[in-house]
Amino acid sequence: MRAPSRLLSAAIGAVLALSLSGCGSSAPEGTGQVKLTLWHNSADPAPLLEMYKKFEKQSGHKIELVSIPSDGFEDTTQTKWATGDRPDILEYHATVSGLLALNPAENLRDLTGEGYIARSGDLYQSAGSVNGKVYAAITGFPQVFGLYYNKKVFTAAGLTPPTNFAELAAACPKLKAAGVTPVFESGGSIWPVQILPILYLAGANQSNAYGKAIAGHSSTLADAGSPFVSGLTAYAKLKADGCFNKDIVTAKFEDSMKALVTGKAAMVAQHSDMLPALLAAAGGDQKTVDESVGFVGLSSDKPLVTYAPGPIGTFYLPKTGDAAREKASLDFVRFMTGPAYAEYITASKTFPVLKDVPDPQGVPSVLQDVKKAYDTGAVIAFNSDIPGMGGLAQLMSELIAGQKDPQKVATQLQGQVEQAAKAAGLPGW
Amino acid sequence: MVMRNRAAWLPWALPAIVLVTVFFVAPFLLNVRFAFSSWTSFRAEITWNGLENFRTLIDQDLLANAVTVTVLYAILCMAIQNTVSLSLALALQRTSGINTVFRSAFFLPTLISPLAAGYIWRGLLAPDGAVNSFLGVEWAWLGEPSTALVVVAFIDAWKWSGLITLVYIAGLNSIPKSLLESATVDGAGPWTRFRRVVFPLLAPALTFNVAVTLVGALSAYDVIAATTGGGPGDHTRALNVVMRQQWGQGFFGSASALGFTVTLLVIATAVPLVWWLRRREVTA
Repeated sequence: MRAPSRLLSAAIGAVLALSLSGCGSSAPEGTGQVKLTLWHNSADPAPLLEMYKKFEKQSGHKIELVSIPSDGFEDTTQTKWATGDRPDILEYHATVSGLLALNPAENLRDLTGEGYIARSGDLYQSAGSVNGKVYAAITGFPQVFGLYYNKKVFTAAGLTPPTNFAELAAACPKLKAAGVTPVFESGGSIWPVQILPILYLAGANQSNAYGKAIAGHSSTLADAGSPFVSGLTAYAKLKADGCFNKDIVTAKFEDSMKALVTGKAAMVAQHSDMLPALLAAAGGDQKTVDESVGFVGLSSDKPLVTYAPGPIGTFYLPKTGDAAREKASLDFVRFMTGPAYAEYITASKTFPVLKDVPDPQGVPSVLQDVKKAYDTGAVIAFNSDIPGMGGLAQLMSELIAGQKDPQKVATQLQGQVEQAAKAAGLPGW
Repeated sequence: MVMRNRAAWLPWALPAIVLVTVFFVAPFLLNVRFAFSSWTSFRAEITWNGLENFRTLIDQDLLANAVTVTVLYAILCMAIQNTVSLSLALALQRTSGINTVFRSAFFLPTLISPLAAGYIWRGLLAPDGAVNSFLGVEWAWLGEPSTALVVVAFIDAWKWSGLITLVYIAGLNSIPKSLLESATVDGAGPWTRFRRVVFPLLAPALTFNVAVTLVGALSAYDVIAATTGGGPGDHTRALNVVMRQQWGQGFFGSASALGFTVTLLVIATAVPLVWWLRRREVTA
């Protein structure tokens, strides 16, 4: 009887030891090296992925990448987050509305004292922070929303790209007459169809005035004649006038990129982080993109771009309670915002958000257009500080399907904002 | 005598009772409270809020539409799958080489992941996809309110009919040949034989298939998510699709309320249906 018992004990011991070694996140004891879990957006560009490897090489720590698909990125992240699962590093939106949904005071580490914040100008006044505490490390240039347009199509039609909605409406019939889809919308991917109404609102959101009024509950989205209702009405009119593609309900955003590059469509409302997708649609040929695609700002009445700090390259450090891993994850943030940052900017050919880092050389012409439009006039997206705006894209689908009018969409979305604002305990609600 | 019979079947039922209790009843009872709580991603506290989540879902026009879409979808899936599968089973009942090939072919989609099946069909049914090219038409099968729900139900039927067919074939093969021969001798034609002999004796298979297809479709998510994402508008936005959206926005209490609604719907539909179907079961 004794021998089998010993065997059994040994077997259980071995299984436990194997299990513990397999489940733990720490690397061999005494080395100070750990395994860090990083939930990242599947749209992370190659230079950013390369930075993760460089950190591993420099620090000796291991990074386990958990890829979250960029389609449905917010939903999937929230679903994983709700289970109580926490990565050591989280790549996520820097908008206040996105941050509030993570309950930062409870779940995230306060990075307020870190050196990169002073080198970021007033970036953290409008992003990555709540109640005066900075939780984000933003390394990516903000997502700049505007109109991508096909240069050849506009030249052939003798038109200049529109910079306000009146010009956009006027260009539609001329482009249609030339046999081109004026604006390609991707309802099959759901989220892109909210971009045009958000662009419309840039005119009313100088200094984030409209966004603050909604978030502070001094105005509502559904107020009679509100900028939001006007934006939806302008969108509905464009649709009624046949400015959009016939397959608006089923088309995916990859389809929109392809239609733009090939000249089947004249314009696509999108943001600057979609440049890799644009390049992919051109078969990886940067020259084709440079020759055929340009970018302009658009709002209700003037040439403005809308920007929002994006998820790509925005990092948070969730509280995990593991001192070694928390130290290593802070090292990661310091690495990304330290001397290696200039290297990243050079490799990624994007613009820096840290002041002492120079602009890169050899930036593609379409990205130069983006930067030019951003420098000329940029307004933060009105929904950046408003919680509960995640339902806008779904409601836009109902607007497109003709199930709801602009006023009804505004009323319903206001209900969702109220639900979230009360849950977040925002003042004024 | 009755007591001895109960004692005899209890050991056989015990594993199922334990599994259902551990994996269904207990989680359900432990989680049902969240449907009546203020659980969100925005704060750590979870407090009882009565029927507030349901009120919010009703105010936002989400609940009634989702229930309607879910019930319609379930009825469509159940009707299509059982009609198609019973027809296939009657055609493929005899065991022969060619029938084995066809049975395998029709069973193959069952092995494919529902998400993969959805993505494949989304490509085939796109306005510039293979189906429209073959038919020579230009129709957004998944983008038109009039066709989207029916088309998704057909995709679900394509995915699962092979399995349902096998159950019907097993049911058909359990019918004694002597009964059919007697009916033939009595002058019954094929339709009369099917209506008076085959269909009544298929009742156990019918009970299983109707219950499985209906309950399965009431909890539909994957095929809808992969094909329409709930659109166009909210025409295919079933309860589980809305639940995912609420969850994704951090409204976990509302999402739990929708999950609770699905469970209630399944119980309210499946229990009386199975009871009614079992009553009409006969033995040869």
